[in-house]
Amino acid sequence: MMANENTITHDVIIVGAGLAGSWAAMTAAQQGVKDIGVLSKLHPLRSHSGAAQGGIAAALNNVRPVPDTGPRGPLEQIPPGDEPIDSWELHMFDTIKGSDWLGDQDAIEIMVQEAINILYAYEHMGCVFSRTPDGRIAQRRFGGHSAPRANYAADWTGHVLLHTIHEQALRHGVKFYSEWYLLDLIVEDNVCRGIVAMNILDGSIHTLRAKAVMFATGGYGRAFKITSNAFANTGDGVAIAYRAGVPLMDMEFVQFHPTGIYRHGILMSEACRGEGGYLTNSEGERFMERYAPEKMELAPRDLVSRSEQTEIDQGRGIGPDKQGIYLDLRHLGREKILSRLPQVREIAIDFTGTDPIDDPVPIQPTAHYSMGGIPTTADGQVIADAEGTPLTGFFAAGEVACVSVHGANRLGSNSLLEASVFGRRAGKAIAQFIQDGANLQPVNGDPAAMNQARIQAHLERNGPELVDDIAQELKETMTSKCGIFRNETNLEEGLARIVELKERLKRAKIMDKGSRFNTDLLAGLETEHLITFSEVVVSGALARTESRGAHSRTDYPERDDEDWLKHTVAHKGEDGPRFSYKDVFIYWDRFPPQKRQY
Amino acid sequence: MNKKFETATVRVQRFNPDIDKKPYLQEFEVSTEGDPTLLDALQFIKSRIDGSVTFRRSCRHAICGSCAMNVNGRNILVCHEPLKKHLDGRGRVTIRPLPYLPIIKDLVVDRTSFWRQYLLIKPWLVPPDNIPEKEFRMTPQEVADLQSAEHCIMCGACYSACTVVGMTKEYIGPHALLKEFMRVMDPRDTIPGERLEIVSGSYGVARCHTIFNCIDACPKHLDPTKAIETLRNLATKRQAWEEQRKERQETL
Repeated sequence: MMANENTITHDVIIVGAGLAGSWAAMTAAQQGVKDIGVLSKLHPLRSHSGAAQGGIAAALNNVRPVPDTGPRGPLEQIPPGDEPIDSWELHMFDTIKGSDWLGDQDAIEIMVQEAINILYAYEHMGCVFSRTPDGRIAQRRFGGHSAPRANYAADWTGHVLLHTIHEQALRHGVKFYSEWYLLDLIVEDNVCRGIVAMNILDGSIHTLRAKAVMFATGGYGRAFKITSNAFANTGDGVAIAYRAGVPLMDMEFVQFHPTGIYRHGILMSEACRGEGGYLTNSEGERFMERYAPEKMELAPRDLVSRSEQTEIDQGRGIGPDKQGIYLDLRHLGREKILSRLPQVREIAIDFTGTDPIDDPVPIQPTAHYSMGGIPTTADGQVIADAEGTPLTGFFAAGEVACVSVHGANRLGSNSLLEASVFGRRAGKAIAQFIQDGANLQPVNGDPAAMNQARIQAHLERNGPELVDDIAQELKETMTSKCGIFRNETNLEEGLARIVELKERLKRAKIMDKGSRFNTDLLAGLETEHLITFSEVVVSGALARTESRGAHSRTDYPERDDEDWLKHTVAHKGEDGPRFSYKDVFIYWDRFPPQKRQY
Repeated sequence: MNKKFETATVRVQRFNPDIDKKPYLQEFEVSTEGDPTLLDALQFIKSRIDGSVTFRRSCRHAICGSCAMNVNGRNILVCHEPLKKHLDGRGRVTIRPLPYLPIIKDLVVDRTSFWRQYLLIKPWLVPPDNIPEKEFRMTPQEVADLQSAEHCIMCGACYSACTVVGMTKEYIGPHALLKEFMRVMDPRDTIPGERLEIVSGSYGVARCHTIFNCIDACPKHLDPTKAIETLRNLATKRQAWEEQRKERQETL
């Protein structure tokens, strides 16, 4: 074995410093693991967890609808001693139905049960939540939830949770490698041995060996033109894992959030609708009445986005190019908007010039969340195939993982929850793994040198196309060929174009040739990742000949439980992904599949 | 200046210590069609004209805190500011890195001292040993008193606007003092006395000269000066504040 002078070793290496990564780090530290390194390509406090707005779900039973005011009436705190209106069982059912029965029910059960104590854990760690008059954590309604259980801090809940968990990780002595970029995952003989990463500051490339590696690298919304996701969300973790032979699961399920700012895609929280906002078309109609008569604007996101897109496709969109919809908050009143939705108000003013207090805000569906990802058990252990064979020493949690708790569609406020619960569980599992006697595994060859050569090859390309040319075309392709409504012709065209882009990228130019803080190189690598996983997304969408949750095929409009009640597992093959399928865990006696209506 | 400019001249301060002797301004022409933000302009320059132009950014809606820069002499977040708004009479805007911090490359600065001060004040809550089964009962008023401080995204606009920071690297700084204020005011925190002592040292609250640059710079409209003043007052009544905290924690 060749020791590279740049090799770093830790007991545990976690890639990603958002909620999932930080929970795992803090929990492992609490369990006695001393030697933990957390890498992040951004400073940890810039992680996308901080952009979450509306709330984190847990059946705390602090709040209920005021009696006799109907499903969109005001909420009040539940007086002590009064009947609870919510339960983890109800949260479980809502999540299963939201997932269109593709979610693994055992994992969902764990998540909703642990939701309650993790909320209190956050509060005990110092999160400043909004409160009921008697001092309990405040809750609001959210799409697809039958009770108001989104616990919130105004409309910057993610920001509060992220800052708190980061502080606590620091308090527990976790070491952060801030602005280090993941390049490669080292897996051999089904054992994970470490990673290769670049110190962005000086461009130096290092092999990092660890007994346990965890990915908490987030989602991949940047494959689309209109997205709520930060620039950083380029699916590096899924692409690199896939390239290293790790399978990806359910990648075709991409959630489009109904209310992104028109043209920009920036998130306007679901809380806007949770607090009572309406969606209207060019005729001023609250069209959700026709698509989800009971839940209306608070139907789950996939349903609402499809409804909006249908209105747009049928010519009732708003805006200069008629691709938008109005989000009307005026009737909420000035006070409620200022106290409960201050951040989204600022966003609306800054990016559309409209003040939601006075005018309806133009919005449109925006690529938001990746249900698919690296398949894991409910303890964050990555599995190597559809049978569930563990990939020793490799863990994952948060949006990058697919447990699966969201199945074919995620309910709002369940992602902050997922990242926290499974980040914590992964931390425990990692600590157990280390304390049971895990060893550093040998690494063959010189992965750092190999990656150095690969990077050098990237830098030597001279076009004529720019990386940005490829990236823009990829986003355009994904948006038009693999968006909200899909069909075979479009998907096939999309796939062909992606394969072509893969080749064109090999010659595309990276303009900055230096080694110091070379974010142009990073953009090139990120574009490569976008193409890598997009091929899996489109291929999976093409293969799945049914509509379920967020995956909507106009040529196969019905859900097909007979052939398709299963997870898509994709392994990297010679000519594209090789598919196998994994069973969904269903409690047939408690939550058998039903028709999904709202 | 809101004259109609179809093209803007974006002047970006460049400096790569590996190849440049000193910083210089480079001009780029950027279309104003579609009403781009300053960040859109920088992204355009980087991805289409000169890939070596380097800056930090992520969320592009003013919550991550990455993109604080000095534009026409003021520290702002470039992601939520329209390009047109910042053009002078000749259609020019000048973008420089945050002041008072070493430059790593172009608009990327070394924030080591900024984060060191943040760590120094112990940003994490220290709760009492007696943890309830459910949440601590914090009143909506107690939340309101802290809520604005909680909204700080650690962007550094205030820190790099503070002339005291410019003169004294050891000054704890408005960002860390605002965070400390939040913890001192939080009824769940058990060490207010220790915190007040940290900020009462020679590089703490005494250094604030109420110049108000921090308030001016803050993209979230926060008030570090008021927080610092509050800390200063509480520091003189430290014992009383500690007593009050002990009492309050009995009913949490």
